[in-house]
Amino acid sequence: MTTEAPPVVAVDRPQDSAPTTGVRAWLSRHPLAAYAIRRFGLYLVELWGALTIAFFFFRLMPGDPIQTLIQTLQQNYIYNQQASAEIIARYQHEFGLDGNFFSQYLKYMEKLVLHGDLGPSLINYPTPAQDVILRALPWTIGLLGISAVLAWVFGIIIGAVAGWRRGKLGSSVATNLSIALSHVPYFFIALILVYVFAYSLGMLPARSAYDSRIEPGLSPDFIGSVLKYGLLPGLSIVIIGTFSWILSTRMLMVPVLGEDYLVYAEAKGLKGWRILTRYALRNCYLPQITAFGISLGFIFNGNVLVEQLFNYPGLGTTLVTAIQQLDFNTILGVTNIAIFSVLTAVLILDLLLPLLDPRVKYWK
Amino acid sequence: MRFLEAVLRTVRHSRRLATGLVILGLMVLLALLSPLIVKAIGGSTDPLELAAYERWLVPGPGHLLGTDQFGRDVFAMVISALAVSLQIGAIAGLISTVVGVIVAFVAGYKGGWIDGLLSTFTGILLVIPTFPLLIALSAYAKNVSLFQVGVMISIFSWPFAAKTIRSQVLSLRSRPYVDLARVSKARDLEIIGTELLPNLLPFIGVGFASSALGAIFGLVGLEVIGLGPGGVIDLGQIIFNAINTGALTLGAWPMFVVPIALLTLLFAALNMINIGLEEVYNPRLRGVAGE
Repeated sequence: MTTEAPPVVAVDRPQDSAPTTGVRAWLSRHPLAAYAIRRFGLYLVELWGALTIAFFFFRLMPGDPIQTLIQTLQQNYIYNQQASAEIIARYQHEFGLDGNFFSQYLKYMEKLVLHGDLGPSLINYPTPAQDVILRALPWTIGLLGISAVLAWVFGIIIGAVAGWRRGKLGSSVATNLSIALSHVPYFFIALILVYVFAYSLGMLPARSAYDSRIEPGLSPDFIGSVLKYGLLPGLSIVIIGTFSWILSTRMLMVPVLGEDYLVYAEAKGLKGWRILTRYALRNCYLPQITAFGISLGFIFNGNVLVEQLFNYPGLGTTLVTAIQQLDFNTILGVTNIAIFSVLTAVLILDLLLPLLDPRVKYWK
Repeated sequence: MRFLEAVLRTVRHSRRLATGLVILGLMVLLALLSPLIVKAIGGSTDPLELAAYERWLVPGPGHLLGTDQFGRDVFAMVISALAVSLQIGAIAGLISTVVGVIVAFVAGYKGGWIDGLLSTFTGILLVIPTFPLLIALSAYAKNVSLFQVGVMISIFSWPFAAKTIRSQVLSLRSRPYVDLARVSKARDLEIIGTELLPNLLPFIGVGFASSALGAIFGLVGLEVIGLGPGGVIDLGQIIFNAINTGALTLGAWPMFVVPIALLTLLFAALNMINIGLEEVYNPRLRGVAGE
């Protein structure tokens, strides 16, 4: 945890003298609410910090992208020098590139926070970048979200059983495979899967997210096609993801097995399976909920390459296309959306945890 | 000498650590010998030269892994690319570890608001998706040297090292022998140098292995979408070439399967070293990762 001063405390300081009434007293009577408020404060700090890092990272980069962009624009417009200077000024204003870094930053943040506006996209000018991103977002959420959750569930189940039956052959095979494969990029598996199932056997499609001959909609045909096209990219994330969850679950499981309450449960004559699911497993999956949130950013990174390989119309492909075309607002927009989604997911999971796990105490 | 003995003792305690080190050692050896191997393959011609041989030769006795679209020997390419990948991992791993150690010590040892600030910052970098930032950085870094690539990648891989080491500094700083050093009026730097650092070596090793892993991972990621820095041919770039020249449809599997296999082996070795070190030095985990 962090020692970052939550805003709440600063606001409440004058009421220190009257602890029985007022906000502070209320907070000490409602520790869960106090935790939620403090956690939310931290979330805002993190979000602001991450968005600021991203903004200045892009603006301060050596080899100014704006210059390149303007040069491209200049070459594309066959105007005289005077007119092109005006055009440049107009574009600079429109893309939010006029003024110094700090005023650019303030303007960007103001548009982002108050209007949810990411500025115009260059590839699809004058469509705003947020529209381009919102078109891609459902694909990524669908592909990444479902695969990440599936990997988590499989990993926890297999990891728990591997910890439970430690010393057995199956368990050690699973453990060693996980150690070997848990850090391999999804992309590697994806490439092998594509080669085998799409190119060699011709069983599954290698590119795109659905059959272009089918009209997008809620028809069974379309849904079937989406599932079929999503199978290979999804599978690559599920396979590697499962391996990394197996390892961490097993590490959580083994110390639990030595606990007194498990010995007691066994002495009571409970069946092994019941002990595993009701007693042991419950103590391992809860810490993994937090870990799931933390892993999302990492999964997103890997997902970019998978989407690119399959030409899947999600955020990853949008990002790579935007970079190739130096579409500045879209690049920053995708980064910001990814940051926002990951931090929000972590926040929600952290807030849910006290409800799921009665032992978690966030107050002193 | 005592250091070497300690290393040997550690390795004997963990079969996993030993396996990882052996695999890594063999790969380093292969990389060191790569100029000789390339020479042996080519004989009088340079097998990496464009049009050195016929294009798209199938694997056979002359060319173990066949040739690519330019008529280069794939085996020779893979071996020299392995050397580049390992160098990047070593450079970036080293830089990340140094930065990580400094941040971890300042944060973990000093505590207070500095720790709060640094840990929040490290935490943010670990949680947010940093790959877009790395992609963006690379888009402006054509024609850079191997070292510059390493620096670029370590901007994003130092938090891995910092996080591991900070948690150990926190646990070590309250040990009795550190307290003893403190009451005997040792200076902070002295305590860090003589009491903390030697005990942290295994975890610094873990930090190095995980940032090297993160760095190679990052570079491969950049290369396979064609955004790798120019002038560097690593294993990722061979995979990228394979995809883009239609090796998939032509069935030229060695061009991507062999780099993938080598990188997977490298990731496995680094991870084994990580887990092996943790098992030996973190008593809470001993036997937990298990066989």
